[in-house]
Amino acid sequence: MTFTISAPPHRKDEITFKKINWSKMAALLPVILISIYFFGIPALGIILAGVLSAIVFEVAIQKVFNQKISIADGHAIMIGLMVALIVPPEVPIWIPMAGSLFAIAIGKHIFGGIGSYVFNPVLAAWVFLNLAWGSIMTPVSFPQLGAISNLVLENGAGLLIGVSPIALLGGLVLIYLKYVEWRIPLSYFMTTMVLALLVGDNLSHVITGAFLFGVLFIATDMATSPVTKNGRVVYGILCGILTVIYGHFDNYVYAAFYGVFLANCVSSFIENVTLPRPFGTESYLQNKYRSIMKKIPFEKLGVSIDE
Amino acid sequence: MADINVMGNIPKKVIIPLRQHNGTDCDPLVKKGDQILVGQMIGECSSDDCTCVHSSVCGEVVSVEDAPNPCGKEIKSVIIEPAEVENCVDFIPTEDIEAVDLIKIIKEAGIVEHYGTPTHRVLSPEGKDIDSVIIDATSSEWVDGHFDTPVQYGIKIFGSLKLLMKAAGASTGAIVLRNDDMDSINAFDGLVYDDKNMNVAPLLGKRHIGYYLKDQGSDMVVVSHDRIYGKDRLSLFTHHVTGRKVPVNCAPADVGIAICSIKSAKALYDILHEGKPCIETVVSVSGKVKDPQRVLVKIGTPFKDVIEACGGYVGEPAKLIANGAITGVAQYTDEVPVTKVTTAITVQGPDEIHYDETIACIHCARCVDVCPVELVPSRLAALSDQGRFDECRQMNIVNCIECGKCAAVCPSKIHILQLIRYSKESINRAYEDIAPKESSNLKLGCSCGSD
Repeated sequence: MTFTISAPPHRKDEITFKKINWSKMAALLPVILISIYFFGIPALGIILAGVLSAIVFEVAIQKVFNQKISIADGHAIMIGLMVALIVPPEVPIWIPMAGSLFAIAIGKHIFGGIGSYVFNPVLAAWVFLNLAWGSIMTPVSFPQLGAISNLVLENGAGLLIGVSPIALLGGLVLIYLKYVEWRIPLSYFMTTMVLALLVGDNLSHVITGAFLFGVLFIATDMATSPVTKNGRVVYGILCGILTVIYGHFDNYVYAAFYGVFLANCVSSFIENVTLPRPFGTESYLQNKYRSIMKKIPFEKLGVSIDE
Repeated sequence: MADINVMGNIPKKVIIPLRQHNGTDCDPLVKKGDQILVGQMIGECSSDDCTCVHSSVCGEVVSVEDAPNPCGKEIKSVIIEPAEVENCVDFIPTEDIEAVDLIKIIKEAGIVEHYGTPTHRVLSPEGKDIDSVIIDATSSEWVDGHFDTPVQYGIKIFGSLKLLMKAAGASTGAIVLRNDDMDSINAFDGLVYDDKNMNVAPLLGKRHIGYYLKDQGSDMVVVSHDRIYGKDRLSLFTHHVTGRKVPVNCAPADVGIAICSIKSAKALYDILHEGKPCIETVVSVSGKVKDPQRVLVKIGTPFKDVIEACGGYVGEPAKLIANGAITGVAQYTDEVPVTKVTTAITVQGPDEIHYDETIACIHCARCVDVCPVELVPSRLAALSDQGRFDECRQMNIVNCIECGKCAAVCPSKIHILQLIRYSKESINRAYEDIAPKESSNLKLGCSCGSD
């Protein structure tokens, strides 16, 4: 009788990188369908152009550099899809193609492929397109939440992603399934809401499809966010602050993208300064609390405390 | 109440390893052709880091040779062909428990902790004082099913704890139950021992056993805690239960804690009250077998016979694991014997085997989220892979309890646990090579300075 030998653990989770990517795409499916319904055939063309060109560029680059073709893990397809979703529907068909090329070649592979890139390839491509062809990339309108029905179907949507904020809540399922973790979306969302209220911005401008896409899909991108627990909270708060700064002076659609893009720059710095302390040692706050409590003369005040 | 079946049939061949713990082999007292009895001592201690070994069956010694062992290596073992009859040596209960030298009895009875250290070394480590004894029932609960009432079980374990405290010279003791092990919790809750009402108290936040000892005005308490998996979990366990931080590279004994398992507590009770040395143990058999159960087996029984006693394999077995599917060792043969440190046998089918391909780390941080000791496993794995052990050490890699959760949740299927072990091993070996200098400010070995 033969037995397989391997090192522990002998029981592992079923989760794979492939599964994470494809489920993210599945979570985007409702918004894809609604955008095609809303914008018609041009939207379908843009999405297909983005996805197909992403596949072509990924395969080409991996062939040229003699790497293993990893198209099945869905990462390149997801990048192509996301690039296509954050362009306006009126753009010519080569815009999403150029975006995919930039995202795959410069955004992803130049930095070393999955897990190694510094900037989210989708955002890098969007920033590139926006700077290179600013006039084409400017949407015809920026959405404003007028009625509750706008959450379901946003008539003022300027980008494909903006058509239906509520359809993006599929991202919450990913959080529930633990494919995406909750600290970044929560801290990002809460910070933005609180700061936007403080600076007096109307929340109807803030809650757009682009912002929710940024919170649930872009900011939670794994390689460009810190891995430490505290670091992720800090990163989310930073994203929120940058978003509100940009959004207060311009608009919250661009703000979500530029905010996360700028936060990407410092994410590894955040990671390095928030490395967890070994278990059993006091955290910074506990240490401060204890040193303050020591200075209070409880005996003189006549208060007895337990150890 | 979890029932424990007794394995009735006697195996054709019994393999008793002469080393069933971390330490040195003991010297065989028998040779080929000898007739031996149940409970007869067949291995004698030559050093202090060693315990005696007794025969669990009656029969003829076939040979004394190297044989496979669940730890993965071959270890010198006594191979016995059991006879039909079961003749025992006379088990003599110790009459006057108060007067005897408990440490010597424990050593000669061959009692070993489930994590691999001989119990007498745990209770009386050289040059260290023990002030608390903790019976850890979180990993192996309810070892004996033969009680009329659960209260009897509780009283017996309290008796053992008292003996362990006496042996270690400790003033306080605690029994730690697992949070979801309702059988044991019900047995201990509301128990009256020494005219004191015992309650099972949960360990919450900063309420460690010290708080409950003071609160209940007793020298023994029962608390409950979650189960902690892992090979090197003792420091973390100590910290959770007592609140004491074990310094890096030190053992719980350095902060005055002795951790015993419930199995050794029972074994101590048996040797004193029945005179029976450590010759049988409870093993839980799970996975792809017909009748998964907890079964009392004689030490030295091959896994094959244990599985046959549980109804045999279901389908074709693909993997045989000793000591649990999370941290256990996969076996290459089912001829390995049950030893004193075997707690579980798991059988997996062909569909449960992972043939995953490792890809690059995607920084998903799932490993950081599950790590019980606040490490960053993804970074440690990358550093270990590149051989940057000193940076690993600075990132407290020695705190790792080797629970393997990081490797289990990794979507990139990186062998994080292996990489971390590789690094820890290399760091330990670096210590062996360098002779510590008094003038050097580099502190080697135990950082608390006790050895």
